[in-house]
Amino acid sequence: MRPILLQGHERSITQIKYNREGDLLFSVAKDTVVNAWYSVNGERLGTYAGHTGALWCVDVDWDTKNVLTGSADNSCRLWDCETGKQLALLDTSSAVRTCGFDFSGNIIMFSTDKQMGYQCFLNFFDLRDPQQIEDNQPYLTVPCSESKITSAVWGPLGEFVIAGHESGEINQFSAKSGEIQKTVKEHTKQINDIQSSVDLTMVITASKDNTSKLFDSASLDHIKSFKTERPVNSAAISPSMDHVVMGGGQEAMDVTTTSTRIGKFEARFFHAAYEEEFGRVKGHFGPINCVAFHPDGKSYGSGGEDGYVRLHYFDAQYFDFELEA
Amino acid sequence: MRDTEDMEADAEFEEGEEPSFSDPEDFEDDTSDQELLEDILKERPQEADGIDSVIVVDNVPEVGPERLEKLKNVVHKIFSKFGKITNEFYPEEEGKTKGYIFLEYSSPAHALEAVKNADGYKLDKQHTFRVNVFTDFDKYMTISDEWETPEKQPFKDFGNLRHWMEEPDCHDQYSVIFEAGERTGIFSNDAKEAIIVEERARWTETYVRWSPKGTYLATFHQRGIALWGGEKFKQIQRFSHQGVQLIDFSPCERYVVTFSPLMDTKEDPQAIIIWDVLTGQKKRGFHCESSAHWPIFKWSHDGKFFARMTQDTLSIYEVPSMGLLDKKSLKITGIKDFSWSPGDNVIAFWVPEDKDIPGRVTLMQLPSRQEIRVRNLFNVVDCKLHWQKNGDYLCVKVDRTPKGTQGLVTNFEIFRMREKQVPVDVVEMKEGIIAFAWEPNGSKFAVLHGESPRINASFYHVKNNGKIELIKMFDKQQANSIFWSPQGQFLVLAGLRSMNGALAFVDTSDCTMMNIVEHYMASDVEWDPTGRFLVTSVSWWSHKVDNAFWLWTFQGRLLQKNNKDRFCQLLWRPRPITLLDPEQTKLIKKDLKKYSKIFEQKDRLSQSKASKELVDKRHTMMEDYHKYRELAMQMHQEQRPLRLDLRGGVDTDELDSNVDDWEEETIEFFINEEIIPIGDLA
Repeated sequence: MRPILLQGHERSITQIKYNREGDLLFSVAKDTVVNAWYSVNGERLGTYAGHTGALWCVDVDWDTKNVLTGSADNSCRLWDCETGKQLALLDTSSAVRTCGFDFSGNIIMFSTDKQMGYQCFLNFFDLRDPQQIEDNQPYLTVPCSESKITSAVWGPLGEFVIAGHESGEINQFSAKSGEIQKTVKEHTKQINDIQSSVDLTMVITASKDNTSKLFDSASLDHIKSFKTERPVNSAAISPSMDHVVMGGGQEAMDVTTTSTRIGKFEARFFHAAYEEEFGRVKGHFGPINCVAFHPDGKSYGSGGEDGYVRLHYFDAQYFDFELEA
Repeated sequence: MRDTEDMEADAEFEEGEEPSFSDPEDFEDDTSDQELLEDILKERPQEADGIDSVIVVDNVPEVGPERLEKLKNVVHKIFSKFGKITNEFYPEEEGKTKGYIFLEYSSPAHALEAVKNADGYKLDKQHTFRVNVFTDFDKYMTISDEWETPEKQPFKDFGNLRHWMEEPDCHDQYSVIFEAGERTGIFSNDAKEAIIVEERARWTETYVRWSPKGTYLATFHQRGIALWGGEKFKQIQRFSHQGVQLIDFSPCERYVVTFSPLMDTKEDPQAIIIWDVLTGQKKRGFHCESSAHWPIFKWSHDGKFFARMTQDTLSIYEVPSMGLLDKKSLKITGIKDFSWSPGDNVIAFWVPEDKDIPGRVTLMQLPSRQEIRVRNLFNVVDCKLHWQKNGDYLCVKVDRTPKGTQGLVTNFEIFRMREKQVPVDVVEMKEGIIAFAWEPNGSKFAVLHGESPRINASFYHVKNNGKIELIKMFDKQQANSIFWSPQGQFLVLAGLRSMNGALAFVDTSDCTMMNIVEHYMASDVEWDPTGRFLVTSVSWWSHKVDNAFWLWTFQGRLLQKNNKDRFCQLLWRPRPITLLDPEQTKLIKKDLKKYSKIFEQKDRLSQSKASKELVDKRHTMMEDYHKYRELAMQMHQEQRPLRLDLRGGVDTDELDSNVDDWEEETIEFFINEEIIPIGDLA
């Protein structure tokens, strides 16, 4: 089926996210716009205007009431999803790299970049306490002096945050004490993305070391590895099949010197159990920066360095396909 | 005024406690000059006692007084070249000279020079000078008369050096350098999957080479070359040559030639060293200024001779003496290039035009030095010599600028070596030549000609009657190199590097394209020694991404993609020449059906085994994964109350699990607009 092309950004896409039901898709890019789309046909529902710098991250809570965005304009903002009204503005001293709502939607976390003399912090706010927002005073802030956080997601039940670091390390930070509960180092280079499975039992990482890996959220046990020849920028786990999708390609700074062919800008599908690649989807003419499965597993979206978001609905063969075993 | 100031300063100075540096009255220096000035004393002029400057010349004609003056003149003329002769003595007996003379030079260096150069000088047929330094006689006098048997060297058993040939499935081996040279591995080729034979870290510092018959693997190190072989790739030999960069084996694997840009000195030539592979001994060193045209020394096919070209000279050496053949180099004014026939001891060389003398290609038989064919050429710009692998044909690619024209015209002059008087036929080419290659073991040749992007591939056949027939031409090819299968008949036209790695597999028996494929950015193509497989590769040395080697069948069917991190080089291990005589080979070809059945069955078996293995592997992987998922889901179920609690009792475990709470919302989308004119109702 022909993909739906979402043209609402002028610069490279940095993150896309479906809401829980999958009817809406949120996208952020290196321009200052946050877009909300109808996933069914790619029509734009609206934008959240206010940021003055590139956006790095977006998240939406479980009941699609609030949207959280983090930007290089040194702020993290909370929006009313329906009206587009800015509910909170949390100023930071450096760019906000990654943000997220916990399972209940009551607690938010975001991490800031090691930048301009400031180190990386992981901050936690409880939205039920308006004072914290008002004073811009998180109830918990964790400094990460060694290696900055490049990607993070909430674990199940909102007890901890799983963060990937520039060094390739993965840590579990307790949302109560800020302590590191568990740490693993399976990647040799920066972790570009972490996404959880729909039931939050597993997470998949995407690393600059050309691999993606599947971990158990609670134990951080390494389960599977998926290897490619290019840096992986993003990976997602299918909610309905034993599949994962990975997006990446030649690094953005090298792209001008290479043809699209050599860059390998395809989305690549791997079987989660066999660790084997079984399909590729072409389309982007720059590296893919983010991928996401629709919660029903019947379509997926990808956002690229080329500034486009592409929504692909799977053909019937996709669901019938089986590797011989 | 100044004086007083100084005085004051002095006075102040003396007041302070200053240790005395002067020697006590009775001090005697006990260090000798030797200790203090050892390095300088070494260079102190020394009185030569003269005996080192004396040489003895033997085999001087015995003459009477009437001709002595003449002899002295002649000798003086020969030996004064090496330095000033201060004294000469011709011992006499019964009025005749004794046949040996003494000469004294002004310095020992001159004497050594004379020994080096005049020893073996041929005065005439009967008299060849033997020249020695006088002091050497002492040395040789003290040698014991009794023969001492040298101690027997213990025999080192390296096992069967052709062990790999005994592999029951005739798998060929290849060497792979990867991780940017950090690791080197030897693999056994298999259609399914490469089987690792040996892998070592930092086995070589630059690259590796196989010997021509595949017995040895040569590795390069700062301090020299090491040879490895046998079943476990043990070190068999090493040659110490500081800074070695290039090597070349003699075709029989008996000798190896190494080149290093370091270490060359005037007295001791070390740029190129020829070694005996079996003993590890240095056979001879040579001077060499540039390694631009490696190999500098070209070997004859049987390894009996090797030749080198310098300005206006062609020097041919023979083994095992490593001396010049017939003690003389060939003087060939203007020689540009030469090449040995791969089948016979014949050298081809060419000389460009010089004023009125036409350019020419000469074929010379060795060691007789008989010219068996000379071909004159006019208006020649450049020539390239291409031998067919058996030495049956020689093609000289001649670039000419005919009189009155500006353009370059290329001819192929085909020499038929196996026929009387070596007849020559000419093929004229109208376009620029990109590549030329003979079919090994055959009489066809392939040419790539034209200009990008209109490159044509032509195939010619040299018939028995000398007629050269164009069999087929493919136009618009993406190719810049030709790779014939070592068995002939099949070839690959490859567009390497800038041409993106386009590959065309051609069967020249009926000139069909069997397959057109691509290995993007491929930089190298290597046929296996049997012509069954082909490897294309993207080397890290030429391209930094997607370094891999791919294995193809000779028909162009892709068998494997081997991605190796920073893969650098793949080399097939050569096979020795078959031991079967032509009759036996014929017999095998006749019964091919019988054998192929056996092999096919074997292939089928291994294939089904492989697919079974794969399925089994997947099966266990799936089981493990499911086991893990069940555990995870169990935990997930246990946490269900907690989840419900966190989301205010709303069940969100499944997409539609809270369907009762859903609100129906209707959204209208603008799909398209159609304007239909209703027409003139009136």
